Amino acid sequence: MAGALTTVLSGSVIYAMGGLVATMFGIAGLYVYLNAPFLAMMQILIYVGAITILIAFAIMLAGPFYKRPKEWTSVGKFIAALIVSIFSFFMFFSFIMKVSWNEGKGVFNLATKDIGRALFDRYAFPFELISLVIVVSIVGAIMLAILSKGEK
Amino acid sequence: MTGAFLSCNLNVYLFMGLFLLCCGILGVIYRRTLIAMLISIELIMNGAGLNFVAFNRFVSPDGPDGMIFTLFIMGIAAAEAAIALAIIILIFRKYRSIESAEMEEMKD
Repeated sequence: MAGALTTVLSGSVIYAMGGLVATMFGIAGLYVYLNAPFLAMMQILIYVGAITILIAFAIMLAGPFYKRPKEWTSVGKFIAALIVSIFSFFMFFSFIMKVSWNEGKGVFNLATKDIGRALFDRYAFPFELISLVIVVSIVGAIMLAILSKGEK
Repeated sequence: MTGAFLSCNLNVYLFMGLFLLCCGILGVIYRRTLIAMLISIELIMNGAGLNFVAFNRFVSPDGPDGMIFTLFIMGIAAAEAAIALAIIILIFRKYRSIESAEMEEMKD
């Protein structure tokens, strides 16, 4: 939670990225508590390994941040955002408190093998679809880079 | 002690996901640079994934459906981060700034 707050409130983008890493590790720990160690592993691999490195490269490519003024200048905007966030928080809070989820006490002990089997059994079509989405996004990113170089 | 508290209560995970969602909303509205807004969107997606796994653990423990949805969310987040960062770098090359308040001239 402290990582999430650091992510949102810190002045520099580099510190925000550090906060994102802390948040990802915290969520991975929560996945371990939820008996999903495979998901914790994938969380650390994908977010800490891939997305954070991507964001770091973007920050480094997008120029010097330390020369710009700090982001604390717009107090009114911060207050508006805080109002929206707190309003949504209490709305969902009352929703969570009102609904009683019937929590089953079943044993939840799924191995990674079950995830893989369900991934290729019931969810084969979404699996292929998301691979297609990732390929299209990679090709789109490369095309954006090439087109921008052509414009220059 | 905290381990037992964490492993037998659904509401803890719901509140954590809700907190991540609210932090993400706050960041998207408040932050001025596009990269920070992208990081906040990642926070929102992680809150959703945490809720999926928590419901899978506590409400329907007979099948890995929520875990698979969380894996899909991770894949979508990766693709979205790649595209968004490419667009951000493109915008930076064109306008020499990545602040979203200065983007009004994008409309033409």
